[in-house]
Amino acid sequence: MKEIKGNKLSAAFFFLLTLTVCFFSGRSFLSLHQPEAIFPGPGLTEQKMLSSYFPALKNTPGDTAVYFFRGKEEGGRVLILGGTHPNEPAGLVTAVLLIENIRLERGSLFIVPRANASGFSHSDPQEGNPQRFAVPTPSGQRLFRLGSRLTNPVHQWPDPAIYVNPAGQKLSGMEARNLNRCYPGRAKGNLTEKVAWAVMELIRRENIDLGIDLHESAPEYPVINAIVFHENSSELAALALMDIQAQGFDIRLEASPANLRGLSHREWGDHAGVKAILLETPNASHGRLKGKPSSSLIVEGKDKFYTRASRLGWLFVPYGEEGIPLSLRVARHLAGVEALLASLEALEPEKSVICGNIPPPHQVIEKGLGPFLHPPD
Amino acid sequence: MPEHLVFFLMVAVFVVLAMAAKFPIGIALALSALAGSLAAGQGLSLRHLIEGSFGYFDTILIILTATLFIKVLKASGILDSVTALLLKTFYKSRVMLLLAVMLILMFPGMLTGSSTAAILSSGPLIAPVMMKMGLPRLKTGALVCMGGILGMIAPPVNILIMIMGGGVDMPYVGLTLPLLFIIVPLAVLTPLVIGYKDLRVIGRDEMLAILPQTLFPKYGFRLYIPFFVLAFFMVGPGLFPGTVPDIGIPGVFVAASLAGIFCGRSFNFFRVTQKAVEEAMPIMAILAGVGMFIQVMTLTGARGWTVMSILSLPSFLLYLGIALSMPAFGGVSTFGSASILGIPFMLALINKNALLTSSALSTITGLGDLVPPAAISGRFAAQVIGEPHFFKILRHCLLPALLQLAAGIGMLLLAPLLDKFI
Repeated sequence: MKEIKGNKLSAAFFFLLTLTVCFFSGRSFLSLHQPEAIFPGPGLTEQKMLSSYFPALKNTPGDTAVYFFRGKEEGGRVLILGGTHPNEPAGLVTAVLLIENIRLERGSLFIVPRANASGFSHSDPQEGNPQRFAVPTPSGQRLFRLGSRLTNPVHQWPDPAIYVNPAGQKLSGMEARNLNRCYPGRAKGNLTEKVAWAVMELIRRENIDLGIDLHESAPEYPVINAIVFHENSSELAALALMDIQAQGFDIRLEASPANLRGLSHREWGDHAGVKAILLETPNASHGRLKGKPSSSLIVEGKDKFYTRASRLGWLFVPYGEEGIPLSLRVARHLAGVEALLASLEALEPEKSVICGNIPPPHQVIEKGLGPFLHPPD
Repeated sequence: MPEHLVFFLMVAVFVVLAMAAKFPIGIALALSALAGSLAAGQGLSLRHLIEGSFGYFDTILIILTATLFIKVLKASGILDSVTALLLKTFYKSRVMLLLAVMLILMFPGMLTGSSTAAILSSGPLIAPVMMKMGLPRLKTGALVCMGGILGMIAPPVNILIMIMGGGVDMPYVGLTLPLLFIIVPLAVLTPLVIGYKDLRVIGRDEMLAILPQTLFPKYGFRLYIPFFVLAFFMVGPGLFPGTVPDIGIPGVFVAASLAGIFCGRSFNFFRVTQKAVEEAMPIMAILAGVGMFIQVMTLTGARGWTVMSILSLPSFLLYLGIALSMPAFGGVSTFGSASILGIPFMLALINKNALLTSSALSTITGLGDLVPPAAISGRFAAQVIGEPHFFKILRHCLLPALLQLAAGIGMLLLAPLLDKFI
């Protein structure tokens, strides 16, 4: 290896070069700390912070907005989480679409669009992802952040060598920053565990009946186009499945494995007795086989490598040249939410949550997301 | 520019800069990443270059702090004292010495899942002993290197499997037996293959003659406090979760280094820290460069092209693809190989026992630590024995590495049979 001999001039040059690189890249990284605007529709009853359920979270990067919708009549109480994994954009966008459109007739609905708020403030190293993706609306583009699966290490560091989560499962150290491995949380734990604890507090204090966690998975991952359910929700999930399939969506049931601990669909049910459901749609942009990452890969979902992988039988969903666009993935989630609410009403009428003005899934597919989103600022 | 051309351009720029122009590897990697970004029309992509390098931030800190730990042990005289103790204990039997040495080398890796931690914490203790017992310096490096890799794979902690398991929803349970089944024979054979021929059997007088100066009479058990601190913070959080704080591996090495200040002869800690930074800088630069390289590969679609090219191999070439691609990709990042290739391969072999498959794949992936340009374990082992050219060490790793590869592929092929017994 060649040894480079330095002098004061070269030291000064590299020092200035480093400062310049730090300034421009730092400015780019810091821009992700600014949350995108959400414009709640007239149906919103109250907006509060997650820390109102767990004050220790207040003024931390883990605190996040909770949008509360109350119907005219008493009924069931449902929680919807988007952004548990900020690199799975359909969760965030579905939550935003609901917040900006719905009116509640009966029951209560709590929506957390950015469950892991810290995860939205950085990108996954070596994934080459864009920091934002643009959704076209009739009045211009709405920009949303594409974050990381994990809490920002600036907010929680260092990772342990081995992470033993609150449910006792041993995981690789970085999973200490994965919200969906940290349930039921720890009141005195790390930031991610505190967020998980706060979500559990919300569930307990608001007497939530049904919790829905919105996710996406890589097309090569076996649990995909799926309703993952806790065993206390099997009937609800089965009813919802028939409803979603009747709407023409390909979807299947996956029971929450009893020995896979720390996930929402397991611990919400075990620790709070709530009916727990996790919905998965296929997203090429966070898969391992993806081509060039871009905003259009996220929004249009076209990827030649995934199409090839599909032809070779490597995937668990068909992936044609037309891709799987964000509008389709969000429509699937909307259909899932609608079907779950309808099933809850069918099984336990006293706990029904009747929600009006949910963007119709087939219209979302047909017209795109834009018409259902508030115009950009 | 098509993805594959971007990839070939990046490789070509790296080869020209590193081999022909003799640029430092880290800088060659960074510049080849920059060239890839420019060729793909992504501009300077400063954000991506910096973001990519941060993929190895924790590893870089481990390297820096572990190097500091070694320097502290040397400066305080603790290293010589421990070498003397090990020599006194094991000088009588070659086989026992080799097996005990292998266990000591593997131990930190078994607890942390990190070959780096194993090589940099046990290596400096073991290397002087082996060299005094007649093992050539390069073979000593190979022994240290392979010990670290086997430690990374051995139970109870195998991060490669945790990464692959995370991608297929396989909990990290029930892996001790399959891992022991593959690792124990390798842990016995590897030191014998590397060291049995050269290691000398010596008498007590000769042993006393080569014994380095020990500070034990002056400082007593105080000398071992840094190791107790190291073990306490490495093992404690797992044994007593919530009671012993998990300060991360870099924190553990810093705590042990600070303890070293008060446990042996006095030295200038600031100067030692400067030396550690100086020594660790090339490998830290390489890791930062590798991070940039991967980020630009992903950014330009070259990573997707590479992965798909491997997955497009005909099924009869699947095992060959595993044997070649997983260690090869490990040359950029072993953990990256487990994630990028390990998970698709786990899914391809989903009809086999996942515990056996993941154990075998992790055994194969671990070999990536020997593969350039990163060759993490090879480089660290070279650093431990003071050898500037890590390739010389890799030559002696070849046979044990082939054994390890054969064991991994063998386990994959025999998985249906082994399934009945394990």
